[in-house]
Amino acid sequence: MGAVTYPNTKVADFVMSSMVPLQVLADSPLADEFKVKWTPTIVVLDCYGKEHHRTVGFFPPEEFIPSLILGIGTIDFDTDRFNDAIIHFDRLLADYTKSAAAPEAIYLRGVSRYKASHDPKPLKEAYEKLKAEYPASEWTQRAQPYSLL
Amino acid sequence: MGNVIIWEAEMSKALTRGQAEKKPILLDFFNPG
Repeated sequence: MGAVTYPNTKVADFVMSSMVPLQVLADSPLADEFKVKWTPTIVVLDCYGKEHHRTVGFFPPEEFIPSLILGIGTIDFDTDRFNDAIIHFDRLLADYTKSAAAPEAIYLRGVSRYKASHDPKPLKEAYEKLKAEYPASEWTQRAQPYSLL
Repeated sequence: MGNVIIWEAEMSKALTRGQAEKKPILLDFFNPG
């Protein structure tokens, strides 16, 4: 990450404008607290220190930014700010359509839209988009029950 | 934009900044070796 992804201009701009970056050694007491077993481990926390998203392993720049956007959106999702979550997932899907984070974003956007509106239609729309664009994704499988709505 | 990531090294400072700037924290556990 330090050799390829973090020096990338787009990554650095995104991180510095959207997040507070904190880097600690994998053998630090904080790593024990977070039960880190391998590096790189990247954790997205809310501003109170609560974990909302975690990845393990290398991400190239074009996958790292959407992974972080997914994590930021998940903070809003987890804290019932569904309209804010939708904004992040929309951004991810508009700017990083082909990223590995996209299927999960489609799923969580559908759930967020449902939670914000209590209309089940977005759940079925999410499944149909996943089935059409990511038929082999685990998120398509997870959304399969929504085909019955 | 500075095009360089300037890392915090202490959780307490990162949280203080996060709350003041209303930003989430990117926590990277790394192994320099």
